[in-house]
Amino acid sequence: MTAVLLFLLLLPLAGAVLNAILGRHLPRRLVEVIASTAILGAFVMALLGFLSLGQRTVDVSFFQWFAVADFTAAMTVHYDPLAAIMALMVTLVSGLIHLYSVSFMRDDQDYVRYFCYLNLFVFAMLVITLADNLIFVYLGWEGVGFCSYALIGFWYSREANATAGRKAFLLTRLGDVAFGVALALFFVLFRNFSLSYINAHASDLGSGLATAVGLLLLWAAAGKSAQLPLSVWLPDAMAGPTPVSALIHAATMVTAGVYLLMRLFPVVSLSPTALLAIAAVGAVTTLYAALSALAQRDIKRVLAYSTISQVGYMVLAVGAADIIGGMFHLLSHAFFKSLLFLAAGYVIQACAEEHDLFRMGNLRRLLPAIFWPFLIGALALSAFPLIGGFFSKDRILLAAYLQPGAAYKVLWGLAALAALLTPLYTFRMFFLVFLERPDGRRETDLHPVPAFMAWIIWPLALLALVDGCLNLPFGPGKDWLAQYLAVVPGARPHLGAPAAVTLAMSLGSATLILMVLAFTWLLYRRGAPAFTWKGLAAFLFSGFYLDQLYDLFLVRPYRLMAQFLWQDVDERGIDRGVEGVGRGFLLFSGGLGWWATGRVSTYLKMLLLGLTAFLAVLAAGWLVW
Amino acid sequence: MIVPYSHVLVLAGVLFLMGAAGAIARRNVFLILIGVEIMLNAAGLALVGASLHWGRPDGQAFVIFIMAVAAAEVAVGLALIVHCHRRTGSVNADDYRLLKG
Repeated sequence: MTAVLLFLLLLPLAGAVLNAILGRHLPRRLVEVIASTAILGAFVMALLGFLSLGQRTVDVSFFQWFAVADFTAAMTVHYDPLAAIMALMVTLVSGLIHLYSVSFMRDDQDYVRYFCYLNLFVFAMLVITLADNLIFVYLGWEGVGFCSYALIGFWYSREANATAGRKAFLLTRLGDVAFGVALALFFVLFRNFSLSYINAHASDLGSGLATAVGLLLLWAAAGKSAQLPLSVWLPDAMAGPTPVSALIHAATMVTAGVYLLMRLFPVVSLSPTALLAIAAVGAVTTLYAALSALAQRDIKRVLAYSTISQVGYMVLAVGAADIIGGMFHLLSHAFFKSLLFLAAGYVIQACAEEHDLFRMGNLRRLLPAIFWPFLIGALALSAFPLIGGFFSKDRILLAAYLQPGAAYKVLWGLAALAALLTPLYTFRMFFLVFLERPDGRRETDLHPVPAFMAWIIWPLALLALVDGCLNLPFGPGKDWLAQYLAVVPGARPHLGAPAAVTLAMSLGSATLILMVLAFTWLLYRRGAPAFTWKGLAAFLFSGFYLDQLYDLFLVRPYRLMAQFLWQDVDERGIDRGVEGVGRGFLLFSGGLGWWATGRVSTYLKMLLLGLTAFLAVLAAGWLVW
Repeated sequence: MIVPYSHVLVLAGVLFLMGAAGAIARRNVFLILIGVEIMLNAAGLALVGASLHWGRPDGQAFVIFIMAVAAAEVAVGLALIVHCHRRTGSVNADDYRLLKG
């Protein structure tokens, strides 16, 4: 098992290092093969680990990283069913995305940098997934942040892309600060960084401390998982290449925050306040992003907002103390969202880098190869009955509904409303892209796209279609995922809902979703409807003016302060003071220099004068006394 | 003692001032050096007079030291003058202005 886990971590790292050092001197095909093989090898390792693990939990220590007195960090791995499932998903999705990227980046000359960062990202993500020591987790946490930054700004020669990269980096950093503080707090409280140790001894915490730790972890997760109020970086992160958006900003990295909350769930769950805060952030974010997605024009921004919304469900699941539901949705979301992004990448390349939904259209006829995968992804995202996303979203809503307290009912209402908006924004995008309309695309203005890009996403499409089978509420293999994850600390395999409630909820949401779908079809079957309320559309388009709020309350005061410190304090105050002192000394020494004539006679004259004055004073003193 | 002590002191003072005036007024390094020597000898004269006046021999011992030091000083001073003359081609003290700030 040790070897399997070691290879699982080291293969992507080895791929990245190899490509970073030798990539420039190798033929292109070899670079692509190295990168893809590393990830597919890691997938094989994850599969081997998964198969041999069963429901055990394996702790492996590779080596001591550093140790100063009590403060020790070791490269340790805590491999439990949660980590096994996550590692399997990460390696599978990123493996497929690596293969897709080979085709997608066919005209880009910077492929070495691209594949190197992509491999490095997978390594960092696997570290988060597996690591036991929280310092080790932090290494992966910062690693994915860095790779995300580097890949968002991958086409850095355009100012906007580089800015988007910096924005993502800075905003996620805001969240990381809380993680750092939480780490310090853990050290003070437990004298230990081991995640399993902390989970085992979590009950020693007082309620106040538990709340503080829970809120810090929530803030950290909000940064990484783009939850309110730190969500604004994700829509801008779409500046990166589309496979990057699929891998990092949909399937894996943005779920890292939620995953961290799941890994530390025994700590988080100690405080009902923290749980409620987590649930509230999740539910409000879900609705916020669903509303914002309604008005976007850029196909990737629609998907970005839908990601924020879906990750909000996972956060809500953690808040509702149902990490199995959260993990289930994380899995199905990873499949259908990476599928949607990859399909969108195909559409964008076919339309010559066009991102605007309103300049697409007619694509069902023109790009039949991508129509079905895209449809499957859109159905899964809208939680179409009996498709993967339906079961996972239902379970989360049920868990939220069953939590005691009126607050949870309100949050359930918000999340349910967002669930009804999901088919609306998804199929608004889908119909605008694919249905026939007179001002749509014509055959002549389409670019050829390799067929490989269409069929490499079929595995994802199939998974998105059938991943509900992982945790069916009925039939053979009933609740398999829930049973499998039952050993994870804090997991509740059964929500304990009465069968009538479960059934009513499933049927109710299925009916409502079908009705919303029909309504969307009526609205958008011939392009966008004419009625729009300009103010509301602009409000939603800008994501509730959240960026502008940040600008007004943080960026602008900061700029003013920086301006003041720079021009008034530094340049006018300190610089002028220093220059004034220097000038004063220059004048003074100029005056002294006037005395230094360099003529020996002058010096002698002065010497004698001084001596005379000195002796005169002495003599006067002698006379007076 | 035939000559009164005050006369010796006046003579020494006058000699000292003459030496100082010569050292200040002259531009030629040799003459400045001679001025300095005169000042030294004025001091020596005052010491000898005082030694006689108080009847103590230390003053005379000092004068012998002063003579030895003055000899050494002249040797060094002349060597410096020769060196400076080689460098600047002049014995005019005002031409040695490397220290001018």
